[in-house]
Amino acid sequence: MPGHLPRRRLLIASATALPLLLATAGCRSADLFAGPDPLGGRPPLAHGTVALEAAITAEAGLISRYQSVISGGGLDAGESSLIATLLAQHQDHLVRLRGRLVVPAGASASVAAQSPGTATATATATPTPAAPARIQHPIGTLRDAERQSADSLVRQLTGVEPALAQLFASIAASDATHAAALSALGTS
Amino acid sequence: MSAVRAVRTMSPVRAVSPVAALQQALAAEDAAVYGYGVAGAHLSGASQATAQQYWTAHREARDTLAAMISALGATPVAALAYYDIPSAVTDAASAEALAAHLEDGVTAAYLDIVAVSSDRLRTFAALAMQDSAVRAAHWQGSTDAFPGLV
Repeated sequence: MPGHLPRRRLLIASATALPLLLATAGCRSADLFAGPDPLGGRPPLAHGTVALEAAITAEAGLISRYQSVISGGGLDAGESSLIATLLAQHQDHLVRLRGRLVVPAGASASVAAQSPGTATATATATPTPAAPARIQHPIGTLRDAERQSADSLVRQLTGVEPALAQLFASIAASDATHAAALSALGTS
Repeated sequence: MSAVRAVRTMSPVRAVSPVAALQQALAAEDAAVYGYGVAGAHLSGASQATAQQYWTAHREARDTLAAMISALGATPVAALAYYDIPSAVTDAASAEALAAHLEDGVTAAYLDIVAVSSDRLRTFAALAMQDSAVRAAHWQGSTDAFPGLV
């Protein structure tokens, strides 16, 4: 029909003309997409945040282990007293660690608000040791978990800000004392 | 942009150079070597043997720190001839309290090294803190949730 361009020719003309129009306007197509990519998802977490979340996850896992040992029963009075004390200190660790995590409104709460035992390990978290195939005394499993926690926290010191590094180092030292106390319990 | 989780900013840790932090730890180790000499005189049996073992550990740590300071091109500060003892040591209980106090001082000194940016020094100090915290717990008969932190 005269006066009407065929639809295909119109589309081809538009595709050809758009870059030309942008060039004459002094724009590059990339300028149109400057700023955060709305389809790019959430920006990656800072290294310190990842390390802190890993420490929170590991601490929650330790608390769950202690709670399991307590609920399993079979502890003598000395064991029960020590384990209750160490559990309380781990709960203090968790409170202090969570206090360092900023969770803005609208952000995923992730490990910050999970109850101990429900937290899932992040990529860098050292999982608490899997249950061994052979039967091990619960005090021994706690001692091993304490040592592993202390080692993991020391590995997390790399590249985190000084105050967080000091908190990790202090908790690692506390875990080391727990391991020693549990060892002494086993030999007394 | 989506809000993201982050580490809460704390009041800045007092900036300490690696050499200054190591010198501080050296001073704490020197004080421990001196103090264990005082405490050990009031201990006996297994406690005295433990104090002797810990005294040796502090001497070794002192030598290690001095070597690290020298390797950084500085001169290790010499030990004092005398250190103040926080309270009178008259018996085994006060000797053990002194030993715990000395270990707490060592732990706090190593914690300052953890604040420096060198990963190697951080790891060294964090492991040293574990040793001193375990020794402190031995003398105190109890553990602490946050050794070295106030």
